[in-house]
Amino acid sequence: MFLSYRWLQRHVDLTGVSAQEIAEDLTIHTAEVEGVEPFAPALSDVVVGHVVDRKPHPDADRLSVCTVDVGDDTPLNIVCGAPNVDAGQKVAVGRVGTVLPGNLKLKKAKIRGVESRGMICSERELELGDEHSGIWVLPDDAQVGVPVAQALGIDDWIIEIENKSLTHRPDLWGHRGIATEIAAIRGLELLPLDLTLPETAGGEPYPVRVESPGCPRYLGLPISGVRVERSPLWLRLLLIAAGQRPLDLLVDLSNFVMLDLGQPNHLFDAGRLSSEGILVRNARAGETMTTLDDVERTFTQNDMLIVSGDEPVAVAGVMGGEASKVAEGTTDLLLEVAAFDATTVRRTAQRLGLRTDASTRFEKTLDPTLPAKAAAHLVHTLRAIQPDVTLPRAMGDAGTWTDPACDVELRPERVRIVLGADVPDDEIERILTSLGFGVVRSASPWSVRVPSDRAAKDVGIEEDLIEEVGRMFGYGNIAERPLEGPLVPAPRDERRELVELLQNRLAGAARFHEALTHTFQFDALLQRLGAFDEAYLEVLNPQIDGCARIRRSILPSLLGVLEGNRRHSDDVRLFEIGKGYRPEDANERGEPREVHQLAIVWALPRPGKNARFDAGVMSRLQSVVDDLIRVARRSASGWRALDATDVPSWAHPGRSMANEFATVGVLDPGVKRELGLDGDLECDVAFAELSLDALLAADEAPHAYHPIPRFPSVKVDVAFSVPEAFAAGDAIAVVEAAGKGLVHSTEMFDLYRGDSVGAGKKSLALHVRLLASDRTLSDEDVARFVGRVERGIERAGGELRSE
Amino acid sequence: MLSPEAEAIRDEALAGVAAASDVAALASVDRTFLGKDGAVGQILASIKDAPPEKRKQLGQEANALKQVIGGAIEERREALRAEALVAERASDGFDPTLPGAPLQRGSLHPVTQVTRELQGIFSSMGYAILDGPEVELDDYNFEALNIPADHPAREMYDTFWCKGDANLLLRTHTSPVQIRALETLEPPFRAIAPGRCFRNETVDASHEHTFHQMEGLVVGEGITVGHLIGAMKTFLREVFRRDLEIRLRPGFFPFVEPGFELDVRCPFCAEKTPRGCSVCKRTTWIELCPCGMVHPRVLAFGGVDAEKYTGFAFGLGLSRLVMLRFGIDDIRHLMGADLRFLEQF
Repeated sequence: MFLSYRWLQRHVDLTGVSAQEIAEDLTIHTAEVEGVEPFAPALSDVVVGHVVDRKPHPDADRLSVCTVDVGDDTPLNIVCGAPNVDAGQKVAVGRVGTVLPGNLKLKKAKIRGVESRGMICSERELELGDEHSGIWVLPDDAQVGVPVAQALGIDDWIIEIENKSLTHRPDLWGHRGIATEIAAIRGLELLPLDLTLPETAGGEPYPVRVESPGCPRYLGLPISGVRVERSPLWLRLLLIAAGQRPLDLLVDLSNFVMLDLGQPNHLFDAGRLSSEGILVRNARAGETMTTLDDVERTFTQNDMLIVSGDEPVAVAGVMGGEASKVAEGTTDLLLEVAAFDATTVRRTAQRLGLRTDASTRFEKTLDPTLPAKAAAHLVHTLRAIQPDVTLPRAMGDAGTWTDPACDVELRPERVRIVLGADVPDDEIERILTSLGFGVVRSASPWSVRVPSDRAAKDVGIEEDLIEEVGRMFGYGNIAERPLEGPLVPAPRDERRELVELLQNRLAGAARFHEALTHTFQFDALLQRLGAFDEAYLEVLNPQIDGCARIRRSILPSLLGVLEGNRRHSDDVRLFEIGKGYRPEDANERGEPREVHQLAIVWALPRPGKNARFDAGVMSRLQSVVDDLIRVARRSASGWRALDATDVPSWAHPGRSMANEFATVGVLDPGVKRELGLDGDLECDVAFAELSLDALLAADEAPHAYHPIPRFPSVKVDVAFSVPEAFAAGDAIAVVEAAGKGLVHSTEMFDLYRGDSVGAGKKSLALHVRLLASDRTLSDEDVARFVGRVERGIERAGGELRSE
Repeated sequence: MLSPEAEAIRDEALAGVAAASDVAALASVDRTFLGKDGAVGQILASIKDAPPEKRKQLGQEANALKQVIGGAIEERREALRAEALVAERASDGFDPTLPGAPLQRGSLHPVTQVTRELQGIFSSMGYAILDGPEVELDDYNFEALNIPADHPAREMYDTFWCKGDANLLLRTHTSPVQIRALETLEPPFRAIAPGRCFRNETVDASHEHTFHQMEGLVVGEGITVGHLIGAMKTFLREVFRRDLEIRLRPGFFPFVEPGFELDVRCPFCAEKTPRGCSVCKRTTWIELCPCGMVHPRVLAFGGVDAEKYTGFAFGLGLSRLVMLRFGIDDIRHLMGADLRFLEQF
């Protein structure tokens, strides 16, 4: 909302107080100020000129050559194209060097051969409205050579208030409300304003009926003898400063009253209404009307309409109808000022996509006593401009409204407790009184009378009054205090501890980068991953079409960012810890099951054909995951291969495995191509997914400490030739069995297939470390071990190739 | 006295020692003269076949040779070692500007880093760290926070609503954790709850539809606005490692009463004159954190006696703090999962 500093001065004397100070006051005590800008800054550069002489341009019919006195020694020669320019006028002159709106810097120019040293401005050129049929003719008494803003007394500041910070303050949606705050903050007097309705001709009140429950009050006041004309300059300037476009006097007045008191209102051309008067009712489904913006609107039963002779003439609280609007030639008006239900108006405005200044205000729940005051204000202001306007008939006033003003108990000691500041009783009373509250002081609690404009929405309980006192007392005057209490450890959060442990291990020892990805997943990505057909929670209003799904798992999002990262990096290692949601598994409150996961991806260029034995990216990731589980002090059973029934859709169907905490696998080759990881970006991709929930549900394994060996260990290398189907795990089992407790560790260092092993076979080679806790192992111990390995592997269908 | 033969052996050996230019050559001299089959060894071997009267002399000669040659070899070895150390200490070819060998490294996301820092600060002051769901019930996100259906304040939160269940949404703030905390914890307590939040805002360099917040909630007897100010100042002092001016100004949030916006004096231009920079948009203030005294209705919703207990709550803009902390100019990077960004932390 835009405030005009000059407009505020109509309500409170701000002599000696700058617009910047007002902005600061409002920020600290009332609402957020977004900025303070000078109004029409060009008016401080453009000066009043006197057209001393006007001659036609020698070479152009439409141009005039003017001699303009701008208070300097020599008058300026200015070429002007406006038809209305004439000698004797006072005009607004931009001189050479003046910058006009639009960053237009005036220069000396030759126009059709005649030199021109400046410009006589129209209102539009000064951004004072749409008027551009001619130059702006100033009042005759404007002082020559003085900046226009100063000469006319119209220099002004625009203070912009953040609307959101007024959400709860219906009383602040007009200049008078803000002025009330300023007066209270600065200890100034609010200037009086006549809000009593003048006498009407009386008789039968204008017929108004309210059927809709969404209209607590509707006033209809006929006004006669008006003329549709241009508004006086003061009114136009105030409206422009407050961000409104002046149109004609009647529209401008309606806006003026809204921006002054915060009460929207509407003027109908009474001649275009039915003599039956006004009915406020809900629309019939499918009913239509063309609004003032020339759009035909179709209504539902939830929309509230203003109807005359069963013809809709306005959408209640939102916008008037085209057919009944004030137009040239209108002489008789019906002024509508009403209290409309906030929700009804908001829903209709939202549904129609038609947020107006009126609906924005009604949405805040306006004070139902305000319409009568606003009607009076409009009539008084209109009469000041057109004195012969009459009120031919008593005002119609319908509705079941009640005055919201109420009494709230306030304990002054509670004020001090909540604020933590020693605000004296007198100060509390002074503050509340300055804001229009009525205070009846007695033994605590006091009784505080809340005025209707504050009670309408914002103030209803003791805490609300405490806020009033606090903000006026000034939060900056409250001293900081440390928290006190017994020193007890805060409850532990095992989940967070686990998260930190995994993060540290991955970012540290395993050297992965932690990423965050969006909770929303693209349909296209899920389709590529073959994961589209699963159950997803979706949002109704996604920001991007095709991106409404809420992730079930973290991994797909990480797979989705592989391609982009591969373009810049050979070795892509990413992880994310986050939450997925499973709608098929909701609880009785409808909350989807939340799964807490760690997802890891690792992409590496495929090793060259002649590369030595390479365990491969999956094998390396497997070790990372084993390590994470170990560091988390959980013990996992062995890995088992996933089969078609439980392999994730993006995983290689024959190269994926799981244990009770994790899944590790290689990306399916088709999916990899779908993700664009081919050609130059070809790489091996392994993924892993760990369930934090499963880790947390499992017991912590006791830490297994092994004493440092007292005797040296012996390293033995063994290699087997085994059938292709023979699992490495079985070979290791043979070795461990053969060790009879002496095998300290094994490490596979080669896996080979080729001619020297024979078709259908492979060679596995292991480093084995043997260790006894009670002696140094002898050559005989080693020989016996190798003998047992040989017999064991032969029984299992393989043979020992070498030791 | 050595025999001429022994003297010849000695001289030859000493010449060999002197000529040995490295440890290997020296070892060879050692073998040649002192080894089992070496010259001295042969003298020793010849003792048993020698006539008894000569045996003593041969033994003495052999020992003398051993001592002389062995001593010379040892001396020479020491000299060679000393030479080698000198050579090893030479700086030829050293180039400190050669870059270190590349190191694969990992990183924690900046949001994690700042979250941890804040968690450390707050948990040292006895705050519990809580977690809450990102897919939230309307009851918790709005209703229990004193924002009933049709409350105009709902418009301040551009909510993502879930399909199929009108009560389900993506939480628009971490504030629903306040209710969950009030339901589960017994006052007095202090808690924070970091996490992701969602608002349907158009994404640009300073807006993301997904961002991080950190809720704070302190409930107890006699908790005042003064405590809130104290808590905020303390935390800012810790984060920015100096005292920064703050100001509280009125702010409207239905779940607090009174409600504030907390501004902090821009740390990037606080010491400059004139103040004002692009970070604070020339206002010298940075809006950091909506906060306030917990609304009695919220306490009541959470089953807490609002007459006995008061409390304060705040909602720190974590994403904003991360950006301030690291000078990140585009919020979109936070959720972008781009290694070129992540590798910098």
